[in-house]
Amino acid sequence: MNPVVQMMLLFVGAALVNNILLTRFIALCSFFGISDNMHTSIGMSLAVIFVMVMASSATWLIYYFLLLPLGVGEFLYIPAFILVIAALVQFVEMYLRKYSPALYRAMGIYLPLITTNCAVLAAATEAVKPGFFTMNMPYAFGFGEAIIYTLGVAVGYGFALISFTALRERLELAQVPAVLKGHPMSFITAGLLSLGYIGLASLFGL
Amino acid sequence: MKEWLRVFGNGLSFENPLTVLMIGLCSTLAVSTKFEGSLFMGIAVIFVLVLSNVLISAVRKFTPDEVRIPIFIVIIASFVTIVDLSMKAFVPAVYSFLGVWIPLIVVNCIVLGRAEAFAYTNTVWLSVADGIGMGLGYTIIIAGLGAFRELFGSGQLQFLGATLVKFPAWYAPPNILLLFPGAFILFGLIIAGSHAMNRKLAARKQVAA
Repeated sequence: MNPVVQMMLLFVGAALVNNILLTRFIALCSFFGISDNMHTSIGMSLAVIFVMVMASSATWLIYYFLLLPLGVGEFLYIPAFILVIAALVQFVEMYLRKYSPALYRAMGIYLPLITTNCAVLAAATEAVKPGFFTMNMPYAFGFGEAIIYTLGVAVGYGFALISFTALRERLELAQVPAVLKGHPMSFITAGLLSLGYIGLASLFGL
Repeated sequence: MKEWLRVFGNGLSFENPLTVLMIGLCSTLAVSTKFEGSLFMGIAVIFVLVLSNVLISAVRKFTPDEVRIPIFIVIIASFVTIVDLSMKAFVPAVYSFLGVWIPLIVVNCIVLGRAEAFAYTNTVWLSVADGIGMGLGYTIIIAGLGAFRELFGSGQLQFLGATLVKFPAWYAPPNILLLFPGAFILFGLIIAGSHAMNRKLAARKQVAA
């Protein structure tokens, strides 16, 4: 297959078909926690795209050039990755505060939250161990593929979060039975939204 | 002992991590397509939660406030690695079904949340109660959801290779239960139900008091 087409497929597959929020249920805490305000969710999406790509590139390099040569990749990757992510988030926060105050104001408060955002750890883990996503792909991602894959995951996260926020803002005004008010209704809405993503999967013939 | 039981019971009802605190949802919805997988997920979470609660509570007096989160994460990550490797060795079929969800226990909001909100400020003995209660509250919901989805979504219930229940052939399983929307919608209904139940329990308590 043409490598460019392959990269495109990887991106679309990661962003839409295997959308990290709606079809794989990763990072749902942030999905339901912050999706009641459009401003917040745009900030969070940008912060996730930024941090996720940086974190995955860092962990990919660490996995292949530090952990594997030392022979500890199999059982040290969890602590190593989470420490790298936590340190990276701190570092990015300090850097932004010093050199780009405008960007810091836009996504400053979301940065610490990202440390415990499962999506970042999931993307970093899957960039080195692509368990589910093997369509026409070599089993181990190269550095370029890992970055494209992570970018796809992050864009998919932002896309799903923003569209769900838009739905929830409308839902505030809707007439909902008293029993279902609040969180139950949000879940049902998310269920209907994720029905749409199943349609995408068949569209791409996966 | 009374205090112990109160903390333990809170995890099951009024502070149930899934239906009330709404944390740790990701794994619940994702792995509950199979009863067996969700039961083992629950056991893994109980194990990590209890042991990390105990250790964090034991070292809470020497933990500097500023670096507590990295310390918690390292403690949790070590227990998760134990679970990760033992499951790979002893129940490989379940391990491959759970996949990325085992490493993700590290960032499971339940574990870190309880470390921060409970274990860091309470005694070891109470932290055990909190760990078991929260873990059981999680396991009951996830295993129940898994059993329901597997039974009605695929028409049979399997456990470690043996078929426990099988519906007759005329039963056409609605596929949607096994797919993602089914999880969301079913879980929405479960929350609605448990909120209603908690409201009733609280009302009865007020009447009694």
